[in-house]
Amino acid sequence: MTTFLVKRGLQAIPLLIGISLLLFAMLQMTPGGPLASSEGTGAQNAARVEQIREHYGLDDPLPVQYFNWAGGVATGDWGTSFNTGRPVLTMIWERLPNTLLLTGAAFLLAIAIAVPIGVLAARKQYSWFDYVSSGLSFVGVAMPSFWLALMLLFVFSYSLGWLPSGGLEDLRADHEGFSAVIDRVRHMILPVIVLAAVSTAQLARYVRGAMLDVLQQDYVRTARGSGLRERTVIVGHALRNAAIPVVTVAVLTIPELFLGSVVMETIFAIPGIGRLFVESANLRDYPVLLGILMIGAALVVVANLVADIVYSLLDPRIRYAS
Amino acid sequence: MCGARHGRGEAPGARARRRKALTAALAVGTFALALVGCGGASGEGDGAKTDATGTTNAVAGRPVEGGTALIALVQEPGGMNALFHNQSAPLGLAVWVQEPLFLGRTDGTWEPLLAAEVPTVENGGVTEDGLKVTYRLRPDVTWSDGEPFTAEDLEFTYDVIRNPKSTTIAPTEYNLVRAVRVVDPQTVEVTMKRPNPYYLGLFRQTLPKHKFRSSAVTTEDPQARLPLGTGPFTYTNWETGNKIVLERNEAYWRSDRRPKLDGITLRVTPDAQTAINSFTRGEYDSVFFITAGDMPTLRSAQESGAAIEVSPREGSHVEWLWLNQSDKGSDRPHRVLGDPAIREAIDLAIDRQQIVDEVLDGLGTLTGAFVYSGFARVDRPAAPFDPERANELLDAAGWVRGDDGIRVKDGVRASLRFQTLSGDQTRELYQQVIQQNLEEVGIEVKIQNLPSNLIFGTYDEGGRLARGDYDIVMSREGLARDPIEGGWAAMFTCAEVPGPDNKNGTSYVHWCNEEFDRLVGRAASTLDVEERKDLYEQAVELFATERPALPLYSSTSGYTWSTRMKGVDVDWWDGMWPSAADWWLER
Repeated sequence: MTTFLVKRGLQAIPLLIGISLLLFAMLQMTPGGPLASSEGTGAQNAARVEQIREHYGLDDPLPVQYFNWAGGVATGDWGTSFNTGRPVLTMIWERLPNTLLLTGAAFLLAIAIAVPIGVLAARKQYSWFDYVSSGLSFVGVAMPSFWLALMLLFVFSYSLGWLPSGGLEDLRADHEGFSAVIDRVRHMILPVIVLAAVSTAQLARYVRGAMLDVLQQDYVRTARGSGLRERTVIVGHALRNAAIPVVTVAVLTIPELFLGSVVMETIFAIPGIGRLFVESANLRDYPVLLGILMIGAALVVVANLVADIVYSLLDPRIRYAS
Repeated sequence: MCGARHGRGEAPGARARRRKALTAALAVGTFALALVGCGGASGEGDGAKTDATGTTNAVAGRPVEGGTALIALVQEPGGMNALFHNQSAPLGLAVWVQEPLFLGRTDGTWEPLLAAEVPTVENGGVTEDGLKVTYRLRPDVTWSDGEPFTAEDLEFTYDVIRNPKSTTIAPTEYNLVRAVRVVDPQTVEVTMKRPNPYYLGLFRQTLPKHKFRSSAVTTEDPQARLPLGTGPFTYTNWETGNKIVLERNEAYWRSDRRPKLDGITLRVTPDAQTAINSFTRGEYDSVFFITAGDMPTLRSAQESGAAIEVSPREGSHVEWLWLNQSDKGSDRPHRVLGDPAIREAIDLAIDRQQIVDEVLDGLGTLTGAFVYSGFARVDRPAAPFDPERANELLDAAGWVRGDDGIRVKDGVRASLRFQTLSGDQTRELYQQVIQQNLEEVGIEVKIQNLPSNLIFGTYDEGGRLARGDYDIVMSREGLARDPIEGGWAAMFTCAEVPGPDNKNGTSYVHWCNEEFDRLVGRAASTLDVEERKDLYEQAVELFATERPALPLYSSTSGYTWSTRMKGVDVDWWDGMWPSAADWWLER
């Protein structure tokens, strides 16, 4: 197992280098540069723009710029934001907890709802519960999340006034201790629900499908025939086997949730990675964009690795040869 | 600030230019005499209205001290030091922390703030030839950390701006400075390379010398992020993406104007629509900043009982139709727009009043002058709506209608692309009105909107305006206290026409007129205010007859705050922000 992990880890390195090259090249190809807001303002200003360009090394040839950046990343210096003049890693670091909290909570919520629904729908195929949950799943998958976000905002925040419309904390009052936790939870409710909604719908579909497959297997019939309680059959035997394809999908929803947070963080004014990404994209803040994209790429690689590990835990038959 | 405010969602290039317009706005310096005409120029009715509001608020109750105002900040800037970050917040809110030497008021006068007096030729502050200006500082000003504010700080600020290793984005008026010399702790003598009618624009922001080790200052410096200042508030904390916290400057040098609020918190809200909705429901005390597009929402919220005050600002940015005068950026005239008859016909064929009344909900005014704001503002009516005359002109010029109703001359079809920033629904509506208007006089218009960077990109990036690769483009420009600010008037001179040898040229319209150059050039180098006004008036007239660009309407933006916040005074140019020291919250 250890050898396998090391091997996979080493394999990820050329992959990430390849990705970084692609990302670097693609960012350079987008129209408009980081200095667009200072340029075109008359010849008098041109010399000044040139100084700024030089300061950030933007006058170097592209390969040099890439190696400067990549060398920095290797040594823990991810560069400096053109916009704020602050280290990229610091900027990402201070935003990351908010995004992790948001996506983590949404992921757990999605699992907690999707698995029971999927299992129950499969267990009682063609029942009214199955039809209703399937119907809702389709609605959930088809519905644009920003629309749901705006509707929930309209109802629970603007009309009823139960929940705050955005941000992470109530800036009108000083909350401390437990009341600060409650305040944070109140701010997280809507974004987490919206973010979880789409994933829940998708996951529930997968759980149902996988369970249906498994429930028709011989060993399930055998288990039932040997007089095991239905609960044991479902949870102990069927679900465990059904979980393998589900895990693949579930783990890959994590990067998807990360993407979804771009929209949610903007609508709900949450200072996370997603919003940093949007703002940096608008400003062509290449170092920050590259930093976030690389973290995203690494996340997909890690998520796949985690999926592989979870497989072997769920199914003892799966062993990774080294 | 107005300039920057309207930057939201607009082109970077346009924003930068406007940014300069802004600084200019604050900056202009001519003689007080000349400036008397200034503020009134831009919407007198308005000024009166807002003044009234301000006064009413001030006397409505006894001001109480304490409390924190919570303000929604729509665009989070990279840093709050206006010398390093040309975004709307550092520029518009600088006055809370980084005070200027001079404050321009709505009525067009200037009052000294950190300076002891406004230098003029009369008081000996400016030499007769206009080449040397002496700035005298108040002796009692201190930085919020208690250190005295002195002439050394001004000299240091200039050194930083001049240092090639610094990354300041300072206003271009510093380019006219030859040298800065400290005479004594309260006196600075500035020599100019040529007469600079603009000298009050210097030192809008000053850097505290004692906080730096060298004059090479870059964006990485903490002072570029949260600057130390002399103003009524000080920055204490910035949680990026979340909030910027300001507290009362307990050591504020103006002992008569101790800030009433304990502090101001700016809550970063990425979405303007959400920010405004939350504001109207009482979540915030104000919003930085309001655009013309937000006004209908605010007005209807107020009508349905929201506890907010709205102060409209008429006569703000003009929406321009840039008429390309070149054939794809070359020296040849544009195949259609090169004909003066076509340009005049377009001017006469557009029903501007209908656009203001029906599309803009009445939130707009009309003007026919390219100098439509500031001390030299010219009150020139917009072209009348007269499609019949437009048709006559085109007939006389030999543009003959084809079978489809579109005119043709010498095999050239009167068909024009019409472009603006994509995604602006209001603009798309009046684009369609214009399309119909022009179709009625036999000119075909194809609406092909584009993202801002494609329109406003630099010459090397292939920006449509820079390359002259367009027919008609629409954008808002030109709000300035002085037409030289931000290079607004100079933008139409021959020297600014972009080309392979002049990639930084700022002209959109690729128009070159020697008489215009002479008028504008003279106006930028003389200090005689009356002469300058006269020159600009002639330039406006020439511009309006030659029509390299057509003004569509002047937008109405505004300021807004909750009724529980009192003591707000609105200045037409600088808005409600300079009055922050007087704000207080009703309990």
